[in-house]
Amino acid sequence: MINNILRGLIYFVVLVLIQVLILNNIHFLRIATPFLYLYFILKMAVGTSRMNVIFLSFLIGLVIDMFSNTSGMHAAACTFVGFIRQWLIFFFMGKDLPEDMSPSYRTFGYGGFLRYTSAFVVIHHIALFAIESLTFFDSLFLAIRIGASAITTILLISAIEALNIGVQKGGD
Amino acid sequence: MRKLLEFLVRKRHWFLFVLLEIISFTLIYRDHAYQRNVMFSSANVITGYVSSVSGYITSYLNLREINRELLERNGQLEMELLKLQDQLEVMQADTVLFTGFVADSIEHFPYSFIMADVVNNSVTHLSNYITINKGRKEGVEPDMGVVSERGVVGIVSTVSDHFSVVIPLLNPKFRLSCKVLGSSYFGTLGWNGRDARFANLDELPRHVEFEKGDTIVTSGYSAVFPAGIVVGNVVDYEKQHDDNFYSLKVELATNFQALNNVRIIKNYRQAEQKHLEQEAKKND
Repeated sequence: MINNILRGLIYFVVLVLIQVLILNNIHFLRIATPFLYLYFILKMAVGTSRMNVIFLSFLIGLVIDMFSNTSGMHAAACTFVGFIRQWLIFFFMGKDLPEDMSPSYRTFGYGGFLRYTSAFVVIHHIALFAIESLTFFDSLFLAIRIGASAITTILLISAIEALNIGVQKGGD
Repeated sequence: MRKLLEFLVRKRHWFLFVLLEIISFTLIYRDHAYQRNVMFSSANVITGYVSSVSGYITSYLNLREINRELLERNGQLEMELLKLQDQLEVMQADTVLFTGFVADSIEHFPYSFIMADVVNNSVTHLSNYITINKGRKEGVEPDMGVVSERGVVGIVSTVSDHFSVVIPLLNPKFRLSCKVLGSSYFGTLGWNGRDARFANLDELPRHVEFEKGDTIVTSGYSAVFPAGIVVGNVVDYEKQHDDNFYSLKVELATNFQALNNVRIIKNYRQAEQKHLEQEAKKND
């Protein structure tokens, strides 16, 4: 239990720092920015109470907002994906999963994890960019930005997850 | 009653969800106001500190480029100084001493500069912001203009004790009154949200004469920037849909993707001008 909380805290700090110090400065072809910090919300154990998931999602979104001067936008999008996370897991993997299981290639299978991640990331990005464009609307460009950013985020998350699996196997 | 309570407890995450979304959207909508909350921006103590550490490290990466730019700028200014000295000498030789000029030279130049480093910067969002490492303690206040060695950067929006957030040209909230160098008609410069290198100058009357490559400068009507600060160059133009105005595509002089040092312009008469303008509006 303590172990899980500690790991969550480390994930939180490391992912926020990577996001605000490195990834926020990346804009591949001037359109795509990966949002790796979603990995934190993705990886919470299946049995985590929905209250906790929603609150922690909101919290990481708010912290990212503070650093990138987008007050409220990430928080709103993250709260939304935190809210629908359990339905996504049920939809892709069914309801009978062990409580302490954390989504990964090993537990969900490669296809399952990728489907879950993709749906999650795409929904988050649509929410985020739609909220952002409340100030400024440009539909074609909006679609391109959502698509490009979602692809880079998904690629980055699957790469990190693959590394993570490698580390876990080595450590066991 | 019991069932209702049970139902509410079971669905409590719905309430949390709605509550947090309301908080988020309140933040977003408050952010639409020009003045922002310092606590939730990158000007607060923690985020400002982290950003300034990373800014300190990355600032070493561009030193060669910055050095070259400063040398160039230095050269330009020296040339200008020589030219002015030359003109002054000619004038002095030409004119018989006339006391009417004396009052002018005592006239105080109403602007001064505060130097600052960029600690946080974005160019990819639709609404971009820059954080700099000078704040209220150093005399920075909201509504001051910010320029780089090359040209206009933006305007200070939020100030904390040691940091400030700048709204740059790359933000739809910021519109700047500009003119083509040499003409006196002005238009409004705004960003189209796509490319950090370009902005559009709209509402420029059709009869203004200009060519591609002409320099765009500030008009000086806003009390934020002095007149004649470089904004960029005209690269393309088209008629606006109502046919009476031109829309110019302007390549911005400031390179926002590699911004390190900026200067904040302090206008001693800004408060006075604003006050006067408000008085005048009140009488309408």
